[in-house]
Amino acid sequence: MMKTRIMATRAEMRAPHSMRPLKRLAAAGAALFLAGCATVSPDGGFGTVQQLTKERTGQTATWQRPDAQADSAKARVDELLQQPLTADSAVELAFLNNKGLQASFSELGIAESDLVRAGRLRNPSFTFGRLSGNGAVEIDRSILFDVLGLLTMPLAKQVEQARFEQAQLQAAFEAVGVAADTRRAYFSAVAAQELVKYFGQVKEAAQASSELARRMAHTGNFSKLTQMREQAFYADATAQLARAQHQAVAERERLTRLLGLGSDQLNFKLPERLPELPKSAVEPKDAEQTAMDKRLDVLMAKRSADAVAKSLGLTKATRVVNVLNFGYANRSQTGEARSNGYLIELELPLFDFGVARLLRAEATYMQAVNRTAQVAINAQSEVRESYSAYRTAFDLAQHYRDEVVPLRKRISEENLLRYNGMLISVFELLADSREQVSSITGYVEALRDFWVTDTNLQTALTGRSPDASATERPSAKAALAAGGAH
Amino acid sequence: MNNRRNFIRTAGATMLGATAVSRVGAASLPEAVIQTSPDMQPPLIPTTGRPYNPVVTLNGWTLPWRMKNGVKEFHLVAEPVVREIAPGMKVNLWGYNGQSPGPTIEVVEGDRIRIFVTNKLPEETTVHWHGVLLPSGMDGVSGLTQPAIRPGKTFVYEFVLQRSGTFMYHPHADEMTQMAMGMMGMFIVHPKDPRQMKVDRDFVFLLNAYDVDPGSATPKVNTMLDFNLWTWNSRAFPGIDPLVARTGDRVRIRMGNLTMTSHPIHLHGPHFEVTGTDGGWIPKTARWPEVTTDVAVGRMRAIEFDALAGDWAFHCHKAHHTMNAMGHDVPTMIGVDQKDVADKVRKLIPDYMVMGERGMADMGEMEMPLPDNTLPMMTGQGPFGAIGMGGMFSVVKVRDDVKPGDYKDPGWYKHPAKTLAYEYTGGLPNPARAAGPTADKTTLIVRKPMGGHEGH
Repeated sequence: MMKTRIMATRAEMRAPHSMRPLKRLAAAGAALFLAGCATVSPDGGFGTVQQLTKERTGQTATWQRPDAQADSAKARVDELLQQPLTADSAVELAFLNNKGLQASFSELGIAESDLVRAGRLRNPSFTFGRLSGNGAVEIDRSILFDVLGLLTMPLAKQVEQARFEQAQLQAAFEAVGVAADTRRAYFSAVAAQELVKYFGQVKEAAQASSELARRMAHTGNFSKLTQMREQAFYADATAQLARAQHQAVAERERLTRLLGLGSDQLNFKLPERLPELPKSAVEPKDAEQTAMDKRLDVLMAKRSADAVAKSLGLTKATRVVNVLNFGYANRSQTGEARSNGYLIELELPLFDFGVARLLRAEATYMQAVNRTAQVAINAQSEVRESYSAYRTAFDLAQHYRDEVVPLRKRISEENLLRYNGMLISVFELLADSREQVSSITGYVEALRDFWVTDTNLQTALTGRSPDASATERPSAKAALAAGGAH
Repeated sequence: MNNRRNFIRTAGATMLGATAVSRVGAASLPEAVIQTSPDMQPPLIPTTGRPYNPVVTLNGWTLPWRMKNGVKEFHLVAEPVVREIAPGMKVNLWGYNGQSPGPTIEVVEGDRIRIFVTNKLPEETTVHWHGVLLPSGMDGVSGLTQPAIRPGKTFVYEFVLQRSGTFMYHPHADEMTQMAMGMMGMFIVHPKDPRQMKVDRDFVFLLNAYDVDPGSATPKVNTMLDFNLWTWNSRAFPGIDPLVARTGDRVRIRMGNLTMTSHPIHLHGPHFEVTGTDGGWIPKTARWPEVTTDVAVGRMRAIEFDALAGDWAFHCHKAHHTMNAMGHDVPTMIGVDQKDVADKVRKLIPDYMVMGERGMADMGEMEMPLPDNTLPMMTGQGPFGAIGMGGMFSVVKVRDDVKPGDYKDPGWYKHPAKTLAYEYTGGLPNPARAAGPTADKTTLIVRKPMGGHEGH
């Protein structure tokens, strides 16, 4: 790219009343400056984020800014930690306390400042040159205003507005992700904790068998082999319990991270059981359309394509002349009177005629369009898949609750009758009680899966892709960056 | 059902003949009389044909017949039946004329008999007359000596009884299944002269065994040896009638074994002689005096004794055979202290009760719920408590005042004074023993190693 600077000075241009147009220009510039000036909104655009988030998670997100009510937030956190957590209170906690989420909210501030900057004229530039030689000194002064910036300000503002809205969506997107992660972690933590209890019961049954077998061997009624078989059950059950206990710790810690709790807040309480299975499974109507209308990633992709389209228009408008500087210039030369004038700087597309940039812009636009289409297709597919997972989990949990567990219980009852008739031994009775407990652990796991898939379905319907957790997703920002290219 | 039983009891065989005619008119087939009561029916005193001294079938009955041109005609119907093994348990079996085992067929040496066999089973069958001398073509082995009787078909067996004695009948087509399902009956050929081998009471029954999974009702026909119901005439004690006699009666008990193992049948009290085998009557000089006689598989035995007053246990001496359904893989708990473990178990299984710590007799005393349609392992209460036996067990009840022909249960025996075992309540003084040597410093002190050797 080659820049050619055309300078008009008093030497070439006759302008006897040169001060007059300069004054007029300054006045016009000031007016434009004031008109185009966007200011920082009082909530930083977070109100929209709150609304988007509340619609999708039922909980209100708060942005803890340094000046904001950090104390009241802390009080609320303490209050929530008093009671055993529910899924909702866990989400509320995460919104208040998740530092990663707060960090992503800060993106909003950054976008807003960009928006504000886009509404302001670029600061005028002032150049000063001094040449001396042969006893002569030549001084050039000029003050330059970004005239084209002034012309393109409405477009640039639109772009930045889109970027800002994008950032709002992005913030909501992050919040919905954190909410989904929190709910999933919450259900997993409650289930893992509940499972510890049942694995404890299994171990207890195995321990009773083992102890009895030891006594049987001691009195000579059991061979070492038989005794050791019972002991092996116990050994296995102990290992199983240890694993379950660690799992409970791991799930709880995952939740702790999402809730952003420090080491002084670790004794938060979880309920003993998962919430009951709802009476019936939901049948979302127009699920795919809902996803198209509500899903934040879809909305973002659409917004992004819009922004690209606008920036494409901008590129078209500026492809011949992309920067036009206009300013006042004067020159002082030793021994001569100061000469005043003005200068115009024009960048000419001598080699870059804009075609390449136009192609790039068009390609970028098509990229945005196709990406949006793909996001939409993914969203629809995810809704279908999530619904299948949800429905299966519901049916399975119901099956465990209504069939497997009662059946196992009846089997145990029949086994007890058989034991009463000395048809089976206490060892078989205990082995059966272990199996009965396993059916309950199966139910707990199915119920947990139901609540997780329920979260996933809600997320897929209104928020985002349920597959990846928010804390593991770098792609959203990349998409935004790509979408915002102009 | 009751009507039918009362009818048989009161009207007797002559009337049955008449009924048969009225029911089927001039048809050539005699009526197939059905019996569904599990109780012992009174002996069927013959009113047609040659006279004989009838037998009494333990928890069973004798099949009526009709005379037609000097031929005794019987009608057996092979069919699925429901048999009460003992109160509280009914089993799906296959049998004849409403019962398993089928009715006892009683005939007299020299009789010509014609037996119509109608097959109402879902599969083909035959009848083999076990031990009876007859033409080969009447022997009832499907494929070998006759075509099988297809379902819905009726076959006729006709032969003359050559020899008196104790015999059986059972299928010889898919016999493994059909005998496991209870297809069998006694076949008694009385001597032509009723004075020959005459006794006052003549009991007959078959030994049979089933494998019925607790809580179910149909035997597992593929079981080979591990049966759990050991029965006489498909009844298990306490569902078995007592064998009632009057003091001094000459009593005969005839047994046929169609299980897959032998049964040493043991009678308490009076000694008996084995008077009959599969081959017929044993000459007096060759009889074995016994208190236990082993009735091997596929065999018949007749024993005789003179009744002595009292309640005399009469049972198979294989101890498992005097049990009802029991677990054969249950470990022995004797001597194992379960108390604190039991508390732990009860936390998981609230209704759990400790059993077997002192042996199995707990079972006889504790009334605990069992699976449906399952007999407790040991039941039956005697005058002094739980009898602790089931299965192949009954009581020979001999009383001074039983009337001839009366088989009613006379209740428990009243022991004459000083004939009943009693508890010793005196002291148990220490026996006087000679003093041992006292230890002094030259006595070797043996120090046993301590610890780590409990297992030795």
